[in-house]
Amino acid sequence: MTVKIRHPFQASWIFICTIAITVITVGSVSGAEPLSAEQVAFFESKIRPVLVKECYGCHSNKAGNVRGGLRLDTKQLMVLGGSSGPAVVPGNPDDSLLYTAMMHLDFEMPPRRKLSDEVLSDFRQWIEMGAPDPRETEVAEIKATITEEDIAESKRSFWAYQHPVDSPAPAVLDEDWSKTKIDRFVLAKLESEGIRPADDAEPHRILRRLCFDLTGLPPTPAQIDYFASHYREDADRAIAMVVDRLLESEQFGERWGRHWLDVVRYAESTGREVNMTFPHAWRFRDYVIDSFNADKPFDQFIQEQIAGDLMPAPNDEVWAENLVATTFLAMGPKNVNEQNRVQFAADLVDEQIDATTRVFLGMSVACARCHDHKFDAIPQTDYYAMAGIFGSMTTYFGNPPSEYGTFSTAQNRRSSSLLVLPVDDPNPYDKSYTATELEQVKSQISDLVGQLSNLRRGSQQSGGQNAIRDRLRITNQLSQASAKLAVVDASGNPRSYCMGVQESASPRDARLLVRGEIDQPAQTVRRDFPTVLREHSATIPSGSSGRLELARWIGSDENTLSARVMVNRIWQHLIGQGLVRSTENFGVTGQSPSHPELLDHLAVRFVDSGWSVKTLVKEIATSRTYRVSSDYDETSHHQDPDNALLWRANPRRLDAEAIRDAMLSVAGKIDLDRPRGSEVAKAGYTRVRDGVLGDPREAARKAAEQARAEVQASMRQSMAGSRNGQSRDGNRGRYSQGRAGAGQRGRFGQRGQGTFRAGNGGFDRESAEATAREAIRRFTNRYTNQLNMEDAEFRSVYLPIVRDQEPRSMVVFDFADSSSVIGSRESSNTANQALYMMNNQFVINTSDAFARRLISDYSSTADRIDAAFGLTYGRKPTQGERSATAEFIRQFQSDGATGLQTLSALCQSLFASAEFRYID
Amino acid sequence: MYSRRYLLQSLSAGFGYLAFAGLSSTASRSAYGNGQADSQNPLAPRQPHFPASAKRVIFLCMQGGPSHVDTFDYKPQLAIDHGKRGKYGGSLLRSPWEFKQRGDSGLWISDLFPNVAKHADDMCLIRSMQCDQPVHPGAMTQMHTGTAQFIRPSLGAWTLYGLGTENDSLPGFVSLSPPAGSSRNYGSSFLPAIYGGTKVGRSGFGQRAQNVANGESVPDISNPKLSERKQRYQLNLIQSLNREKLRRDEYQPGVEGVIESYELAFRMQDAMPELMDISGESDSTLAMYGADAGPTQGFGRQCLLARRFVEAGVRFVEVTHGNWDQHANLSADHQARAEACDQPIAALLQDLKQRDLLKDTLVIWGGEFGRTPAAQNGDGRNHNNRGYTTWMAGGGVKGGFCYGATDEHGYEAVENKCHIHDWHATILHLLGLDHEQLTYRYAGRDFRLTDVHGNVATDILA
Repeated sequence: MTVKIRHPFQASWIFICTIAITVITVGSVSGAEPLSAEQVAFFESKIRPVLVKECYGCHSNKAGNVRGGLRLDTKQLMVLGGSSGPAVVPGNPDDSLLYTAMMHLDFEMPPRRKLSDEVLSDFRQWIEMGAPDPRETEVAEIKATITEEDIAESKRSFWAYQHPVDSPAPAVLDEDWSKTKIDRFVLAKLESEGIRPADDAEPHRILRRLCFDLTGLPPTPAQIDYFASHYREDADRAIAMVVDRLLESEQFGERWGRHWLDVVRYAESTGREVNMTFPHAWRFRDYVIDSFNADKPFDQFIQEQIAGDLMPAPNDEVWAENLVATTFLAMGPKNVNEQNRVQFAADLVDEQIDATTRVFLGMSVACARCHDHKFDAIPQTDYYAMAGIFGSMTTYFGNPPSEYGTFSTAQNRRSSSLLVLPVDDPNPYDKSYTATELEQVKSQISDLVGQLSNLRRGSQQSGGQNAIRDRLRITNQLSQASAKLAVVDASGNPRSYCMGVQESASPRDARLLVRGEIDQPAQTVRRDFPTVLREHSATIPSGSSGRLELARWIGSDENTLSARVMVNRIWQHLIGQGLVRSTENFGVTGQSPSHPELLDHLAVRFVDSGWSVKTLVKEIATSRTYRVSSDYDETSHHQDPDNALLWRANPRRLDAEAIRDAMLSVAGKIDLDRPRGSEVAKAGYTRVRDGVLGDPREAARKAAEQARAEVQASMRQSMAGSRNGQSRDGNRGRYSQGRAGAGQRGRFGQRGQGTFRAGNGGFDRESAEATAREAIRRFTNRYTNQLNMEDAEFRSVYLPIVRDQEPRSMVVFDFADSSSVIGSRESSNTANQALYMMNNQFVINTSDAFARRLISDYSSTADRIDAAFGLTYGRKPTQGERSATAEFIRQFQSDGATGLQTLSALCQSLFASAEFRYID
Repeated sequence: MYSRRYLLQSLSAGFGYLAFAGLSSTASRSAYGNGQADSQNPLAPRQPHFPASAKRVIFLCMQGGPSHVDTFDYKPQLAIDHGKRGKYGGSLLRSPWEFKQRGDSGLWISDLFPNVAKHADDMCLIRSMQCDQPVHPGAMTQMHTGTAQFIRPSLGAWTLYGLGTENDSLPGFVSLSPPAGSSRNYGSSFLPAIYGGTKVGRSGFGQRAQNVANGESVPDISNPKLSERKQRYQLNLIQSLNREKLRRDEYQPGVEGVIESYELAFRMQDAMPELMDISGESDSTLAMYGADAGPTQGFGRQCLLARRFVEAGVRFVEVTHGNWDQHANLSADHQARAEACDQPIAALLQDLKQRDLLKDTLVIWGGEFGRTPAAQNGDGRNHNNRGYTTWMAGGGVKGGFCYGATDEHGYEAVENKCHIHDWHATILHLLGLDHEQLTYRYAGRDFRLTDVHGNVATDILA
């Protein structure tokens, strides 16, 4: 069957391809030793009849019954095992669940009935013999429907598979317009369509654009004045100077690092049903920010993330950094509740292939897991060539085992360890233990282990629900205690860990899986890079997995895509849309570049500059194209409604981080220091439930305790107060602002204990109940909103990113889904955002702070209003805005509001308005 | 051209153009196709193209791909051929669940949905569904927007654009706790932002605790400081700032979206808490939906909310029930998924019926695709986009009816194929909308939900 790869939208063709896997049976190519006649006879006479009679009823395809995920009717499935692990480990009966279950050591098989001693000893003997099994399933060889010729043709004809070439700048009519070569490419297209580019934007808009684009923070009015005056003298020089300054600031890395964190699906937990934290993921976050600030050559940055563990390191600090970089491969979403360990391993590799190819190459090789890629020239064999590379490593994402081992709980079945860093840099929140404490934990563990084995023995006779419950409880406690012990050294001091990967001792090629099913292995596929992108097969030294070679190949201009994909990302963040709009799909189904020569020009320049992100940012930011205004023009809009040709600047909505950071910044509250670690690091290795790091019931208990204590205290006060005849009326208002109260704010924004008083003068039952309800609500709120961190004042990039529990301030403004590779965020305007800006406590508190700042800095109302507009919009209010504001102040104050309340509500209105959240 | 800019700018009055529009006539539009709206309120109820049998939609979206051969597509031959090699490899797997004929109509429905099955005589099974996408995100997006290639408005947004809504204090299109990262499935794309779905509730596991803790039905639904009057003054200021910007910018869909979002949000503050508060429902109602306890609690509550929303005049409500993707552990996990939603769905149908709402409320049930008749990993099934089942009830579809068929094992639709475009065309038809006439001009071209495809499955119309 021939496959054309040019007709992506034909439904009929898609179907053909879905079913087009050609299975050619070539007999047994598994490479196993042929069985001797005696071995076959032993199996046929002593083993098979027992399996058929005693086991197939519940564990075979024929019976349609696969209890515990276990099938015993083929050799491969028997070795693969079910949810509890391999049923047969050839040569080792004591590790073979089939045997131990028959012995009634762990499971009881067949249920409630033990087979005869003779049968049991046959099985023991058979497993010791190496479990010779003639039921060898025939191994199929899957032949790709995408032929060598298809791939060669694709390479010849499809733009993305050819190396970028820097073409000469095109001729343009208006020779004076261009500032850079970029501009000539843009202008040539516009001229050819007869569209005139917009005029330059006003200086305050240009500066606002530059500041938000490069650092995610707004300019101050003083900076705007300074810039505007220089801009009038020499616009090019003024812009270049500002760009240099912004590129040097630490905030550049925080802004651009966050863009990268979107792409690499950064998060601090596994996600899915059983959401386990990654308490060390923040190291990767800091690594990314530092790399952008240092303008680390991007090719090197790529290589470190794919194979940092294998790269030579001159010292321990670099080695540590390289190890942290490989967190990229370890932090993907995971279903740790997966019962089948083989499935889990296959899914892990799949996620790694998917992320690696989409993040760096803008193509999806993972589509070829089950069949040849439907549209691009990526045969299924390409996927398994990469699966061999990633399969030959171990991924570390969990928590290290203690000296007692790892105890998997019923939920977290797929545990994993961590990497020890070569430098001493422990998680700042890890606890040290005294010798006595260590002893206590150890004796607790021994005690629990004892209880567990008693329970096991006991359950042989009694069984029942209680035993199961006890077992779960003990395992959970054991797992917790062991985790405590695991992260400290022998003297109780915390060790330094990171997530990441390590090479396996003996790398192996992977077998292709028919339809991607783990129990349908076909031929072995040699480890290699995607065919359509490479000149020739990879040279992989023996004993290596090929991952270092892969990293060096992806992080280079030997492939046609890496440089293009990154320059397109940079372009998108500065211009508002990619030259290729589908930032993760440079394949046939992606969008073609709007300016192919410009894309290639940028890619070549990028490589020539030593893969310097800052150089490219500067080149784009100083171009004329960047500088034009976003003014609407009816004629141009009619010709090019999507602004594909860039006749004007795209009006862009700020992203979630910039909105929050700008509010804090304008209010004078922002803390620009990097907090160490994160809220997740503080909580350690734990499951996240109901938005709570740890056990929500435990949190609820704590909340109730605190609330009770507070209620009792307030009642005592209230009774004392009523005896003293004090009026408490004035305190009502105070409570309603309790959360805004002047509590001590720690680095992680621990909310202060707001004061609380009963509402009425006297003590009465009703108010006491209301009091109690309020207190419980407030304390529960503190725990359930722990991950929103509304009191935090550091930059948004440092907020905790727990999958499916990202902070509300981020999610409401289209934060990138942290479980997916996201190169372009959505930009919506929703009623939920409006509610957030009107009613959210963070917004209200920040508006209050903004108002207080204005009151202390300026004495007249007029000056305060001018300053408020200057800080939020970067300009003075218009006449219309002045009168709207005056009207508002009049209305608000005639309704009895104080000056501060009025100003605060005004500040909030500015935050809430469209202009604040748009860059024009 | 229908100009949002015009209508937003033309209202120089302070707050609340929707309020004014709500008082004005709800006259029908003449030239629908090019988007002329007589009313200045983009959400005002509008006359359909022709008399509609359905006035509103509840879409029960089954994310992950529930297996048709284990639920609503009875395949006796699959049981007979169990263990044999399937058409495209793998061995055929008979359904672990028994199928029975239900109701007077005798529709075959499996024991996975014993409660839903009691409503067989109201249900119309479409057993010949097809879509183009064999993977979840693509198929999910195509089910919602007709295409997986481009970002396009979703079915709910088109519906709202076509019909407006009956209650302008509530979003006209609500998506209850949609999964993370799925916003394009309820987005408005190039349609005015006001037609996009409003997400209500948080997906995932934190939802319940957070609602309890905040005592709030929707996050930030009330202001802890300002009186209503003060907040109104504040809103006036925000909107006049926004309108002034829009006047300056001339054309700015984003700013228009912001303006619309505040109008709606302000109204929602009153309407939503009341609507989301189910404490006034009787114990027997809660029990009927299974919203009181047990595995049905979450979905039961959502189904109950869905009824409350449509009752209050919301045009399109989507409720998602996830994790149907059983490549393994089908027998246990499909059972668990079905147990969580069978009783709530049955209760929803019953409740709508007893309130006389089912006759003009279209209830749609379906996943992004079905599953293969052949086994995967022993006790599992793979994706199958070439043949699967969805069903509808109420809203003018034939009850106790089944439409189309797959081949003997359930691999592929072979009779009366219903592609997702046909499905969309049929849903719009039931709502009184001609899918070829419901267009929106964007970038110089008239777009429609069904692109250049779609045939109404007239056989299923009652």
